[in-house]
Amino acid sequence: MENVVELKNVTKAFKGFSVKNMDLQVKKGFVTGFIGANGAGKSTTIKLMMNLLKPDAGEVKLFGLDYKTHEKAIKERIGFVYDGNVFFEGLNLKDIKRIVSPAYKNWDDIIFSEYIDKFQLPLHKAIKTFSKGMQMKASLAIALSHHAELIIMDEPTAGLDPIFRRELLNLLQELMVDGNRTIFFSTHITTDLDRIADYIAFIHGGELVFNQSIHEIAENYALVKGGVELLDRDTEKDFVHIHRTSAGFQALTDNMKAVKHTFGDMVVIERASLEDIMYNFKGGMHHV
Amino acid sequence: MFNLIRRDVILQKKQLLMFIPFILFFIIMDAHPALIFLVASIFIPFNTYAYDEKAETNILLNSLPYTRREIIASRYLGAIVYMVLAVGVTSLALAAFNKSFSMTDIAIGSGLFLLFAALTFPLFYIFKPGYISAAVMIGFLFLAGVGPRIVLFIAEHTTAITDFIASLSTPALYTGAAAAITALYAASWGVTHIIYQRKAF
Amino acid sequence: MQIIISNSSKEPIYEQITNQIKSSILAGDLQEGAALPSIRQLAKDLQISVITTKRAYEELEKAGFIYSIVGKGSFVAEQNLEVIKEKKLKVIEEQLSAVITNGKELGLSLDELQQLLKLLYEE
Repeated sequence: MENVVELKNVTKAFKGFSVKNMDLQVKKGFVTGFIGANGAGKSTTIKLMMNLLKPDAGEVKLFGLDYKTHEKAIKERIGFVYDGNVFFEGLNLKDIKRIVSPAYKNWDDIIFSEYIDKFQLPLHKAIKTFSKGMQMKASLAIALSHHAELIIMDEPTAGLDPIFRRELLNLLQELMVDGNRTIFFSTHITTDLDRIADYIAFIHGGELVFNQSIHEIAENYALVKGGVELLDRDTEKDFVHIHRTSAGFQALTDNMKAVKHTFGDMVVIERASLEDIMYNFKGGMHHV
Repeated sequence: MFNLIRRDVILQKKQLLMFIPFILFFIIMDAHPALIFLVASIFIPFNTYAYDEKAETNILLNSLPYTRREIIASRYLGAIVYMVLAVGVTSLALAAFNKSFSMTDIAIGSGLFLLFAALTFPLFYIFKPGYISAAVMIGFLFLAGVGPRIVLFIAEHTTAITDFIASLSTPALYTGAAAAITALYAASWGVTHIIYQRKAF
Repeated sequence: MQIIISNSSKEPIYEQITNQIKSSILAGDLQEGAALPSIRQLAKDLQISVITTKRAYEELEKAGFIYSIVGKGSFVAEQNLEVIKEKKLKVIEEQLSAVITNGKELGLSLDELQQLLKLLYEE
């Protein structure tokens, strides 16, 4: 399958924090949700993808192209939406459009007006007077008006009310009817992903834990509950994290088959939500 | 690239309304024409930095299909473009008020502007937002206040250089100054380019 | 084509889709050669991810219920209804045998079993 984004062994170190040996592929034509706790390295990874940061080591390729030689060609094909407003906040949308649109060869005024109508955005009011949701819609309208093949979004749903979040998801779903589009978005609201994500990339402490299809995750990860007497050095090895109480243990496994094989009917195996997975990685990996 | 230069006008629509009264004020105050040319030239390029020192602006520009090379080039070329425009507008204003000015005034005003720009532009990319205005103010005061004294000090104590300059004909002096400023401007561009390439947003 | 998805069901979503399309085909609601909505359109309409509808179609294809032509879409395959019916009958026979075995263990007579079946059938 074709990859739109490819990070190979990418490392970027800051004081006290780093993204380490990141290998991440984003598949063409699908929605990849990028999850992780605050400070796990989501924004850093997105900045590496956007060439806002340059990796200390490793390779970043988009559409199979390198930023060193094809920076403009790559960015022509990306629509971006960031967490905060990056547009000149004193300007109105009309002026922002006048600044942004000439930058793109494929800018489409008709599509832009359609989104402005659809989102009911005022063209003549300064962006700083917009609510968080309106700012987000404005960013989205701009990101979608130049026939971008890859939409990169950093926490687009953060701080939005549930109704608008749902509207956004519907819109993204409409975009995906065209099979050439790829969406990559980071979020810590995992329920946003249950509906539309095809792949989930999970980052923890600057490292990629997995990048799997939602079906693979459902087949590999599970919550396991049972009596503590079942646990020993051997049986524990298939668990990522184990929580013991006097009433029994609850654990997350990334190898459901092995757990079924080991314990059979002696434990209860339940579907693990993305939140369960994130939560159980909180204290770091506990492979024994 | 032209778009990047043009964006300054869109950004500064409101400030531009201030531009004409601003120049007129200096003209009415009977300031030296060279100073008016300098102040008029500074107006747009330095106003731009009020926006460009913000991290968000850099994130935006670098996410659009522009290269870092183009972003810096647009600053340096844009400064020249706006300087030329400012000189044009100022000349018209001076003429309208029947104030006399010479090509020398324009040359000195533009020369000082380019010198000032060459010295301060890199600072916008070295310092963190917030410190820049202070740095530029200090730079300006330094150039305006302490600069001439240092020049005088050097002139008095290193007679070899002053003798050499005094010995030059006027055309040679101007050519030399123009060459020096051009070289400094180009060097400043190069330095800023290198700084900006390495910048993280 | 009607497909109803339950998010609270234990059955995975892709299985819900395959089962419902299968029954529509077996019931004759979807005729041979009928075009199915595209994977992406169906995902949008059902508000689920593309990869889920993709998997559902793949399973249906594997089972021979539909076929896909690149660039054109997916269509209902020619069904050998006789064969399918026979298979289903065989399954029913097996299940009934199990019922009979269980019944005999309890000492139920044929009449009693038939009555039970009748009762359940009419329910």
